[in-house]
Amino acid sequence: MQLENPAIVAFILRRIALSLVTLVLLSLMVFFGGQVLPGNVGRAILGPFADEASVQALNQSLGLDRPYIVQYWDWISNFVQGDMGMSYAFRSPVAPFVLDALANSCKLALVAFLIVVPLGILGGIVAALNVNRPIDRIISLGGLSVTVLPEFVTGIVLILIFSIWLDWLPVTATWPEGAGLGTQLYHLILPSLPLFLVLFGYIARMARAGMVEALDSDYTRTAVLKGLSWPTVIRRHVLRNALLPTITVIATQTGYLIGGLVVVETLFRYQGIGSLIYTAARGKDFPMLEAGILTIGVVFALATLAADLAYTLLNPRIRLGAET
Amino acid sequence: MKDYRLLDLLRRSRTPHENHLIDGLVDGRVSRREFLRYGSVLGLSLPLLGQIGAAAGLGLMPGSARAQAAGGALRVAVDTPTGAIDPVKTPDVGGLVMLQQTGEFLCMDGQDLVLRPMLAESWKPNDKGDVWTFKLRKGVKFHNGKEMSADDVAASLNRLADPANGSNALSVFKGVLSKDAVRKVDDLTVEFHLDAPNANFPYLVSSDNYNAIILPADYAGDFEKNFVGTGPFKLEKYTPKVGASFVRNDDYWGDKALLDRVEFTFFADIQPQILALQGNQVDLINQLPVLAGAGLLNDPNVEIISIHSASHYQIHMRTDMDPFKDPRVRRAIALSLDRDKLVKGLLRGRAQPGNDSPFAPVYPSTDTSVEQRKQNIAEAKQLLEAAGIKSGTKVPLATQRFQEVPQYAQLVQNAAKEIGIEIELNVMDSGAYYGDAVFGKSTWLDSVMGITDYGHRGVPNVYLSAPLRSDGSWNAAHFKNKEYDTLAAGYVAALDLEAQKAAAGKIQKLLLEETPIIFGYFYDHLSAVRKGVAGVEPTAMSQTFLARASKK
Repeated sequence: MQLENPAIVAFILRRIALSLVTLVLLSLMVFFGGQVLPGNVGRAILGPFADEASVQALNQSLGLDRPYIVQYWDWISNFVQGDMGMSYAFRSPVAPFVLDALANSCKLALVAFLIVVPLGILGGIVAALNVNRPIDRIISLGGLSVTVLPEFVTGIVLILIFSIWLDWLPVTATWPEGAGLGTQLYHLILPSLPLFLVLFGYIARMARAGMVEALDSDYTRTAVLKGLSWPTVIRRHVLRNALLPTITVIATQTGYLIGGLVVVETLFRYQGIGSLIYTAARGKDFPMLEAGILTIGVVFALATLAADLAYTLLNPRIRLGAET
Repeated sequence: MKDYRLLDLLRRSRTPHENHLIDGLVDGRVSRREFLRYGSVLGLSLPLLGQIGAAAGLGLMPGSARAQAAGGALRVAVDTPTGAIDPVKTPDVGGLVMLQQTGEFLCMDGQDLVLRPMLAESWKPNDKGDVWTFKLRKGVKFHNGKEMSADDVAASLNRLADPANGSNALSVFKGVLSKDAVRKVDDLTVEFHLDAPNANFPYLVSSDNYNAIILPADYAGDFEKNFVGTGPFKLEKYTPKVGASFVRNDDYWGDKALLDRVEFTFFADIQPQILALQGNQVDLINQLPVLAGAGLLNDPNVEIISIHSASHYQIHMRTDMDPFKDPRVRRAIALSLDRDKLVKGLLRGRAQPGNDSPFAPVYPSTDTSVEQRKQNIAEAKQLLEAAGIKSGTKVPLATQRFQEVPQYAQLVQNAAKEIGIEIELNVMDSGAYYGDAVFGKSTWLDSVMGITDYGHRGVPNVYLSAPLRSDGSWNAAHFKNKEYDTLAAGYVAALDLEAQKAAAGKIQKLLLEETPIIFGYFYDHLSAVRKGVAGVEPTAMSQTFLARASKK
């Protein structure tokens, strides 16, 4: 495998530039889209029954009586200098909220990943090696069935079983302050399970499909015929080809696992970035909303970049820079 | 047995208003419960009310149960506050529960809706009822060590009445108390110079007005840093979006708290709170909506604290738009509802039927002789026919996705169908429903028909003005009726319980006739505690007072 280094650097730079454009567009959409929604910030903070005079006084003190374009410019020019701004609702800097939530989300996503990725791939391999046998049916059908169950259903059932009846795991995922790694992990097992159920079927099916195709291919037959041992064939020829689509799937799920877990975070009472964005959107807390969404945007961009790089590492046929 | 000699003795040095109330009790025109409640508003102390009650042969005040065990920590589940905790601005349940953990009010409106002295020892109106004088408690210390005085009280309440401060309490004080109308008389006396006579004013500076905690005069808007107040608990730690803990204040002016600490955990939804209670991770759910909490109502490990309240949903009908221009159509819709069934089925019995006026059964001034409106399909159909409304007429109904409101809207839809009105539901997010909450920019205020949540109030004054008066800022029904406006103003000013009742009766009858708003039921406030927890005092405002709480 020979990588052309200048090409890969150019590729990364181009991807970063594209991501920046995407992020700016995203921030514009969030800001101006939010202005179209009914209600205003002061009203969202003080509630429907506050006097209009109070609402206007509050909007004025937050600088929201200025033209939208001025507000946006003010916000983005600070943002690019590393100042995420002040939350309208919480009247304190946004950065600690977003960074804490991001750290929490990453921890939960990591635990879920560590459980679901190896098991999903393993499930796919086992299914593929036993195509159309009962074990394959169980993995494929079972995985698909639990994928369609909503997280709030599986979440409640899991809490009832493991927390309330068996009393093995805590109901809420938020660990006591200053807890060590072990305690944190202990609190994250239960909320990871609904995510496992959602993703297992997906990843296993992708891995199975890739495996089946690779097992059926000419190069596998060639490898077998030239006398390589079966495990070597699987490792060197089948898996390397079979896992490419699975990696893409896993990468696209990173965004969901970090930013899209509003239901799981609410049910397990976990301060992740998904619910941070959700409440900020409902409360029209734009600095918080923008910071949260852009953070997720960066995570998405990094995840896809990582997937592309992993792709090239696994598959030397893909030449970066489009010169091939 | 009535002890007239003792009564005479007790009557001395009482004002004419107070003596009139005492006469009412002795003659049986005023019930014991009404006497306690209204006497407390006039500023009669509870021991005195008890003595008068005893002399009138009606027994003593109910004694408050004393909890046995002391010490320990109590864990409370509460809705996540929606923003910074700031007494001036906080509008939500999670936030107001935080305020009252360390902050205190001039008076306290408890579970029985009887006002009790808190930071004020006594209060009295002038003859007209437009100047109220409050005597403050001596020796009350803020958590920062400073002694509380009239300056602090005047500054705290003037701050809330000032339109420049973005105050959430401004809508309560509008037309009642203007900026700088709270004046210090001496270190322990303040006077409230009201915009108009107001017989129930003490409720507006009680725990009912959850923003009205007394802060140091030099409060700089940074409550969240130290939660400085005068209460039985003081702040240990507050983490936005996560939780808060408080410890006993050993310098407290009254009986010290029994618990060592209280820990509040914030939740974004009710379902996880229920699971946390069942999983023994919390001891108390501050507020339990009946529909979501149905599973806990019969749980043997859980005790439900249920308080009658004036919380309700208003179904408004645009009196200036078809088909509701004709009051007969509005009455017909109101007659289609089976209120007893609503209370039993939808609310699991945890509500009281409404009679299409804000006069809830909990208010002592409600005229209970006014006939309760009951379902009458035949009469409703007749009214529609007389009004020339054809069967199959379509009406849009907009409402918010909040607690049992969507289910209520469906039941209203089914009921209307029985009399030939086709209601088309449009259930939306609460934020979208309220919009800017001003006319022309709000589904709530502009819709032909809508259902809106109204939280509890200790007196019906706000319900009588903002949603119903011609100039009311929440008048979604666009109801404009001069006679009503005069009656409502008369009710608010009436200093005498019987005059209030008479005014209430007239308002109730007028609203039954006009029916701009359907008040289907008034729902109870529910809290859930684990067995073994005692002395928790929730209020209908969704507050939770924990000074007397204990845990086995």
